[in-house]
Amino acid sequence: MAPSTTHEPRSTSPRAAVLIPALNEEAVVAQHIAEIRAAADLPVWLIDDCSVDQTARIAADAGARVITLPARLGAWGATQTGIREAAARALDYVVTMDADGQHDPKNIAALVKPVLRDECDVVIGSAPQRGSVLRRFAWRLMRLTSGLNCGDLTSGFRVLNNRAINLLAGARASYLDYQDVGVLLMLEQAGLRIIEVPVVMPPRANGKSRIFSSWLVVASYMAHTLVLGTIKRRRPWNAR
Amino acid sequence: MITVISTTFGICLAALLLFLVRRDQLHISHGLGWTLAILLSALLGFAPRLFDATAELLGVSYAPILGVALAIAALVIKALLTDIEVSKMKVRQQRLIQKVALLESALQEATGRPPIDD
Repeated sequence: MAPSTTHEPRSTSPRAAVLIPALNEEAVVAQHIAEIRAAADLPVWLIDDCSVDQTARIAADAGARVITLPARLGAWGATQTGIREAAARALDYVVTMDADGQHDPKNIAALVKPVLRDECDVVIGSAPQRGSVLRRFAWRLMRLTSGLNCGDLTSGFRVLNNRAINLLAGARASYLDYQDVGVLLMLEQAGLRIIEVPVVMPPRANGKSRIFSSWLVVASYMAHTLVLGTIKRRRPWNAR
Repeated sequence: MITVISTTFGICLAALLLFLVRRDQLHISHGLGWTLAILLSALLGFAPRLFDATAELLGVSYAPILGVALAIAALVIKALLTDIEVSKMKVRQQRLIQKVALLESALQEATGRPPIDD
């Protein structure tokens, strides 16, 4: 069964897509997709993580390919769904973005450039100046426990080349619950080159975080992430 | 007296296992493991001197606590093995959910057929 090209522009090389995991973002998703299509000549795949609103329909009307999960998997599970499709189609790279309008599509070209030049395997759109004092303290703790030398550990605005795609499409990556420390450690320890490109991230366009809905959830996430980082960090005897 | 109690418990547990396996409520692989545990505890129940000798060999002054410690260790290992299995099942389930979503998306693109309701 040949894949439909209804939502794919005529550009032929390199082959890529923008992946947007989304949960209940009907208010902003249409505008976000329009901005992406205006800024980058790339197909947009929206992975609907069981939204209860009209996110999927609105995204499809806006010209995105919509992949609807039959059960909620969370942001990383939804993102990995798109990555698995990218791996199956042997795409050269993917751009992952949040659905809430925090990631400016005008930055896509700057993030993609180092990957196209084969200067790296992964680019992180980095905005460490964003966020509260508490968030920055959390990042500091994450860096301390994981050993990751990364300014913006939680940015979902990334470009992954085909090496990263194939790695993150695998079953080992399905053991991860979040897309930050665990994923970055997996990429780093596989020898992939990761760089950061500064971007500006405006405040979320649509209210509070869908993921961190309460302090209990945040505490659980921090405990999970700090322990995972400590256990999985590269040991001195394995240092490259 | 403790031998009577533990033996009665073991027999009841064995009967329950047989019932669960016959009714397809318990997979036979789990039934085999539990059967082994019951046989081992029955052996120790009927041969307390063997147990006392083992405790003495290991330098345990109060022999019954060796039994308690071994039972706790066995339960912890069982719990860990169960968590490992649950982790594998969770990953398998997640990847199946992803695969269903991708197949439905491809089907919808090819035929216009909407996703099937849950």
